Amino acid sequence: MVKSQNLLTEVESKELLKKAGIPVVEAKLARSKKEAISISREIGFPVVLKISSSDVVHKSDSGGVRLGLTNATQVGKAYSQITSSVKQAYPEARIDGVSVQTMAPPGVEVIVGMSKDAQFGPVLMFGLGGILVEVLKDVSFRIVPVTERDAREMIKEIKGYPVLQGYRGQKAASIPALEQLIVKVSQFVEKNPQIKELDLNPIFAYPDKAVAVDARVILE
Amino acid sequence: MFEEKLKEFEPIFYPKSIAVVGVSATSIKAGSLWVSDLRSAGFPGLIYPVGSSGGRIADLEILPNLRLIPGEVDYVIVAVPRQSALELLDDCTAKNVKAVHFFTAGFSETKTQQGRKLEEQMLEKARQGNVRIIGPNCIGVYCPEHKIPFVMGILGESGSVGFISQSGGVATKLVTIGIARHIKYSKGVSFGNGIDLDASDFLQYLAADPKTRVIGAYLEGTRDGARLFTTMKQVGKIKPLVVWKGGRTEVGAQAAMSHTGSLTSPASIWSAMLKQAGAVEVHSLEELTDTLLIFQQLEHGQGTHAAIIGGLADGGGGNSVAAGDACMENGLKIPPLSLETKQELTDLLGEVGSILRNPVDVSQAQFRGLPTLFQAIDLVVRDSISDIVLIQEDIEILLPIYSRQGLEEINEFVIELGRRHNKPIIVVLPPGSAEPERFQIEQKLLAASIPVFCSMERAAGAICKLNHYSCWQEAK
Repeated sequence: MVKSQNLLTEVESKELLKKAGIPVVEAKLARSKKEAISISREIGFPVVLKISSSDVVHKSDSGGVRLGLTNATQVGKAYSQITSSVKQAYPEARIDGVSVQTMAPPGVEVIVGMSKDAQFGPVLMFGLGGILVEVLKDVSFRIVPVTERDAREMIKEIKGYPVLQGYRGQKAASIPALEQLIVKVSQFVEKNPQIKELDLNPIFAYPDKAVAVDARVILE
Repeated sequence: MFEEKLKEFEPIFYPKSIAVVGVSATSIKAGSLWVSDLRSAGFPGLIYPVGSSGGRIADLEILPNLRLIPGEVDYVIVAVPRQSALELLDDCTAKNVKAVHFFTAGFSETKTQQGRKLEEQMLEKARQGNVRIIGPNCIGVYCPEHKIPFVMGILGESGSVGFISQSGGVATKLVTIGIARHIKYSKGVSFGNGIDLDASDFLQYLAADPKTRVIGAYLEGTRDGARLFTTMKQVGKIKPLVVWKGGRTEVGAQAAMSHTGSLTSPASIWSAMLKQAGAVEVHSLEELTDTLLIFQQLEHGQGTHAAIIGGLADGGGGNSVAAGDACMENGLKIPPLSLETKQELTDLLGEVGSILRNPVDVSQAQFRGLPTLFQAIDLVVRDSISDIVLIQEDIEILLPIYSRQGLEEINEFVIELGRRHNKPIIVVLPPGSAEPERFQIEQKLLAASIPVFCSMERAAGAICKLNHYSCWQEAK
């Protein structure tokens, strides 16, 4: 657990990103089981519930994420399970509630992030999501401001690029949509110097678009 | 772009007068060496030695103080202890000096509060007095055209390659390797701590300098990353920029809360920055000099279709195969020879004992004499399948077969052939047990503007860097 006032919740992070024109799967905060069910009905099943607390950095490690909930009963049950298992893992954590969002259809998972370098300032990172980022460190970097050409080159630079072009029946990811997303993230961090670090992880890339499914903004 | 830098830097690279502070008539001091080196290099301007000892050096009177110099002083080289730095800057201001180079060390590089403070005070004084500072803790300027030698009086021929270096040691190696490999510099500078004029300033100057066609840089860090990034993007559009970033493995990552933060390293950020600027990144002194040599000799947009002659005599078969691997792995394309060329080579050399595809091994020519060898090489070079030809000469094998005289003739032929076909020829001379002869041939080829490398890998790597640069430029 990281004690930090500077870690925005997923709901807050996505609101900021959405305002900047960066496509996200919108998340709404539910403060109770009842609220979670009514939001789910409003946005339509299946839904995803995630713990909402700026004290919890690794949401899924502490049992704070439930995917593919298809009805109100499942949502209600998931709400209780999430809050109790997070309380068990992090007794000190301040819990706002649970975020509710539509379960996005599967796409190619990628990550876009930003961190700051002491010499060059904000730097963007691109890579394939999941294990490829963590184990193989198959990622590319560019310094902000990132142009369309830079974005295109950073996408093509990773070793996993063929995966984005469609592989064994999996549909190809739209490279222009990813380029646009990267350029928008660059513009967003340029305009907001108070942002220290940023992760859009994962982003689901589809043949026609790319959408951030989870997001994390850390302020200075 | 940056044309204003030409006038601003004229007193640095083309000073009419240089004062050297820290000279003694009796003892050997760094300052004394600067004076005698400038003198022996034939520096065309006025030289004013300054030092407390009095007396004379290299037929020049040593004045006790900078302020006592009768005429104007453009440029000052300082080799006195750091304690005198501030006072000296006052003298420079009084004399209306344009720029001062501090050879003197012992500042922020010592990582002490005192060193950092002194630098701040120097910078403040320099700004007030309108004096530019090079250094401190550096070797300063090299300008063969204006007969300004580098440290220890090293002076090569003037040419089209500019360099900047944060390290004096690397700068010196660039100059000495340059002399050995005929990389000819327009200008160079080692700027050490770079408290006033830094990498960005010198890159802007070299970008504007009409004598400089390609720029090499050795950098370890920067005080103003944003400015360096902007400058490199601008310079990269004007001239090829080859950069070696030292200290890539430094441990710089702090605790990060994001994936991105934990995956980012200083090396990856420098590499990204260089890519965005269209600069060519290299990772060693060898790669830097190889790349500068190829940029100096060849035009951009060269193409990467190579014909390779891997062997001229005994043992050429294995060498040819290995040469092919080295070139392919470094990004060259090796198309098959045309059917006509193949047929003509077969008629000339017979089917047995040679490999008459690309890479080509023409070993069999050794039993038919030099004219046959020349004819075989000519056939390969003439074939339009290639943009460039690499020829490997294993001197220790060729020497006993062809003798010194034969080797001379072979290389005269190679030089003549490149001119005749207007196709770049690169020669690879692997080191071995015939070093004096190898060196002699290398010098002969280099003097005739034929790039020479000591391995196929290094030759191919350099050619591919040139090609990569051309592709980047075209795609913009």
